[in-house]
Amino acid sequence: MTCVADMLRWIARTLMIVMMVAVGSTVLVRFAPGYLSDAREMDSRYGNTTRVELAAEAARSASLAQMLSAEFGGWTRGNFGISRQYDVPVLELIAPRLAVTGGLLLRSIAFAWSLALCAALVSSAGRNPSLSWQAPSTLLLAVPTAAMATLCILSDCGGPTLVMTLVVAARDFKFLDRMLRNAWRDPHLLQARAQGLSTLRLVYAHILPSVAPRLLALATLSIVNALSALVPVEVVFSVPGLGQLAWNAAMNRDLPVLLGVTMIMAVAVTFAGMNPDRAGEWQGA
Amino acid sequence: MARGMTMRIPAIRPAAFWSLLALAAIAIGVLALPGRSYSGQDREQLLASASAQHPAGTDALGRDRMVRVSAAFLLSMGGAVMASAAATLAAAGVGTLSAFSPAALGSLAMLACDVFLALPWLFLLMMVRSTLPLTTSPAHSAAITFLILAVVGWPACARAVYRGALELRKSEWMLQARAAGLRDKQIMRHVLPNLTSLLIPQFLICIPAFIIAEANLGALGLGIGEPLPSWGSMLLELDNSPMLMHTAWVYLPIALLILILLLFEGVATKQ
Amino acid sequence: MIMRLPRLPIRFVAAAVTAVVGITCAGQTASRLPGELAWTIGFDPKTFDPAKVDDQESELVRYLTAGVLLRFNRSTQKVEPQLAEDWSISSSGRTVTFKLRADLEFSDGTRLTAKDAAWSIRRVLLPATGAPVAEEFLSAAGVTVETPDERTVLVHLPRRVIGIGKVFDEIAIEPADRPSEGRLTAGPFVVADYRRSQYVRLRRNPHYSGPDSKEFGLPYATGIRLDILDNHEQEIRLFEHGEYDVIDSLPPDYFSLLKQKAPNTVRDLGPSLNTEQMWFNQAPGAPLPAWEKAWFQNQAFRVAVSRAIHRADLARIAYEGHATPAYSFISPANVAWFDRSLSVPQEDVAAAKAGLAKAGFRLIGGVLTDANGHPVRFSILTNTGNAARFKMATLIQEDLKGIGIQVTVVALDFPALIERMMHTQDYEACLLGLENVDPDPNAMMNVWLSSSPNHQWDPSEKTPATSWEAEIDRAMNMQASSLTDAERKQAVDRVQQIVADQQPFIYLVYPNALIAISPRLKGVQPAVLAPGLVWNVENLRLEGTR
Repeated sequence: MTCVADMLRWIARTLMIVMMVAVGSTVLVRFAPGYLSDAREMDSRYGNTTRVELAAEAARSASLAQMLSAEFGGWTRGNFGISRQYDVPVLELIAPRLAVTGGLLLRSIAFAWSLALCAALVSSAGRNPSLSWQAPSTLLLAVPTAAMATLCILSDCGGPTLVMTLVVAARDFKFLDRMLRNAWRDPHLLQARAQGLSTLRLVYAHILPSVAPRLLALATLSIVNALSALVPVEVVFSVPGLGQLAWNAAMNRDLPVLLGVTMIMAVAVTFAGMNPDRAGEWQGA
Repeated sequence: MARGMTMRIPAIRPAAFWSLLALAAIAIGVLALPGRSYSGQDREQLLASASAQHPAGTDALGRDRMVRVSAAFLLSMGGAVMASAAATLAAAGVGTLSAFSPAALGSLAMLACDVFLALPWLFLLMMVRSTLPLTTSPAHSAAITFLILAVVGWPACARAVYRGALELRKSEWMLQARAAGLRDKQIMRHVLPNLTSLLIPQFLICIPAFIIAEANLGALGLGIGEPLPSWGSMLLELDNSPMLMHTAWVYLPIALLILILLLFEGVATKQ
Repeated sequence: MIMRLPRLPIRFVAAAVTAVVGITCAGQTASRLPGELAWTIGFDPKTFDPAKVDDQESELVRYLTAGVLLRFNRSTQKVEPQLAEDWSISSSGRTVTFKLRADLEFSDGTRLTAKDAAWSIRRVLLPATGAPVAEEFLSAAGVTVETPDERTVLVHLPRRVIGIGKVFDEIAIEPADRPSEGRLTAGPFVVADYRRSQYVRLRRNPHYSGPDSKEFGLPYATGIRLDILDNHEQEIRLFEHGEYDVIDSLPPDYFSLLKQKAPNTVRDLGPSLNTEQMWFNQAPGAPLPAWEKAWFQNQAFRVAVSRAIHRADLARIAYEGHATPAYSFISPANVAWFDRSLSVPQEDVAAAKAGLAKAGFRLIGGVLTDANGHPVRFSILTNTGNAARFKMATLIQEDLKGIGIQVTVVALDFPALIERMMHTQDYEACLLGLENVDPDPNAMMNVWLSSSPNHQWDPSEKTPATSWEAEIDRAMNMQASSLTDAERKQAVDRVQQIVADQQPFIYLVYPNALIAISPRLKGVQPAVLAPGLVWNVENLRLEGTR
């Protein structure tokens, strides 16, 4: 029963967020500069047809209420509206890309977590933050994602997943290293070690369980880091994913597509931030 | 090897702290040298390598790299550190307060965070740019950019802090403290130190992220405007392969950034 | 106390790293079919309907697929018959007659007759189609098309149109009543496959019949793959690997890079037809302070700024030497229209300062101040993503500091930039380039006529704001109606001289046409006119294929 209620609550919360984000995005995009202009206006041959298109868009977007109802209308019809730049249903654009980006995200987050966790387990066992662990992770933090992707292309090794993994892993490592360091210092662990338990045993029986709840707290951060690396990575590697689509849509002020992508982002973020049942916990406290 | 090395250094913290100060002093010293300017273009010496005149060579427009890196270090690092501190503090405040406030209020705050995270801020930045006059001075533009970054940068971390603080709430020592009749204020004093393993990395991660974000915002007409040097723009030169072919000095900003981040890491490390 | 490192996790780390690296190495392009040519286009074509083309990518696809009556030879810059065997214009200039080649076929083997040609021309002219090319007929509604027999097409124009032949280079002949979006054509290729944001694949048209096509079995290539890629690093890497055959319009820094790596592939074709220019906002309605408008509308101010800019430095530094200083809108590459005797305000900082002093500007403490005491400060707006242009802006910033003007440089993304430039007019100065696709200055009517929305420094004037703008209007109209080339040239020379004297556009450089051609690709005859390297696509083939 509570499980179903939790599920319903989560769905209601997500819906609410999606609605608020939809309204917010529409306002932001509509009133951002350049919504009603197009580089082709400069071209002598295409200027006039472009101006006709823009006038039609101006009429369509005259009032916010009208825009929103058009958007929600598109959702109820199930095609999420018609893309402004490609003139095809948004769903048609998003669906194939969702799989590409989803795969990329899941793979790289999974790799990143395993990599960061392993590295942090080893590094945190040392007494002080050791240079041999901090230096590479700091290097990965300092190099811009786009530059990392370009270096991959230049050196002909690695692809989008590698870059995403490294970007997310470096950030996760910074957190995990500190958390595990604290865990190693726990008095009960010192005692366990004094009793001669093997290191491996210590890790599995004490360290991991003690930091497990905190690992969850990192989920949102990981997802947000991964999402923000998505655009440069997909653009540089020209991966036909959502990041690339979102970037093109932003540069062309393609509101229906942007809304579609933003909705997916919103769901991803709420999913990552899924809360333990706060109400139940209060009763327990 | 390296592990052994760090073991033998008795006190990382003060050493790192003084090194940071020394670097800043050197940067100020370089800027104070007479006859050097970050904007002066030596148009006969493009992408030159080190010489007596230009100890770290010049950039693509013939400007002295040493002076530019020094100025960028003070400007970008100052801005990014402040923005990062502000964002981290905001995250700590919002996160802990919502965890220790009534459930409904906490959930609402986290709902706001989620909405905040999913909105396309790019367009807000464009709107900010369009409300600023085009003749806004490069320094003002830089200040506004770092302010925006601080404003936009906190919600993800606030979520993590909230989670962490909830865990703390449930922890045994907290229950005991409550049972012992400690007041909320007193409890809060013990909460934040327990969240440092979240806050310090967040602070350190935000610094390079903000430095790079500042340069990316240059594409929207924000950021540190020419001719002021921007560290982020120098870092972004790394994704331009023709630039990398010319001189190894283009790696100077990234090397310096890594060194500084490591020093910060050292300062933030407990002995 | 030194802790012993746990052993196992190290192996874990190593294994994880290997796994990650192994799994993430992936190929980037679709594989090449035998005999297929490949290069990149920056963005998705907006349409495959040849009549509705309104962007460069769609235009390229139309060029490669469409069968046209006449082809404008990009190398000789002359109009040549293509599907037409012969064509003529009546002495009044109002009737164009085409005689079609015998036995023409579409790519599916069906016959192509005058009926198809007439249908295609009428379709372009219909307002409902919204074809941009219709505007080139000046008054599309009055045009009539006749087909006296199966192989003859007559087009009657209500009035004479300069360069009407070139217009037919843009009209694809499609099967009557069966428009196919490029899948059924009479050109060298047909659209075979399109993956959005990945590639457009074209297949050879076995029934193609252009001049010489039957004799030599043209087109040589079995197909073309146009990869949608907007990233020079990737493009150059794949070009080096032999994945792409040509790169058109390389940015100067990447040109130098490729020159080091593969010197026998790159070529600098010299100045292109394009110009880079800066201009001040002279619109009376612009939301700028009155004194700023007064500076920008002041000829002496504009000339002084122009004189203070070191164009040679712009070409040498921003373009790494691959550009030519510019003083006019006609590039030296445009041999027929270039005017050698043009007198231009040469670079001269002292003269710039003197000119400003004469116009009432004073230097106070190193800051240029106008007669009313306002310090001269303005911003230069440019677009993001063009490194050379941004460098030029920064160089100009430093140059103008030399005459006491403080400049801020602002780069905006295109939609935001265009909004300021064309709609709100909320900008002071702008630095942009103009791409010329046609060497004939008649194509620039919309830039020079004061009533045009693309009359950038003061768009859509109701009446010419100044006497010199009125004179430009007159001269441009004269070149559009004159019957002799000499008269037209004289009118265009006059416009060039007025522009040089008044500096509404401060021309900076003509960027050179920088290209790369794979040594495997045979039959290339580079031209500066779009589509530059592939204009003779029928004759291109890869070494080792037929």
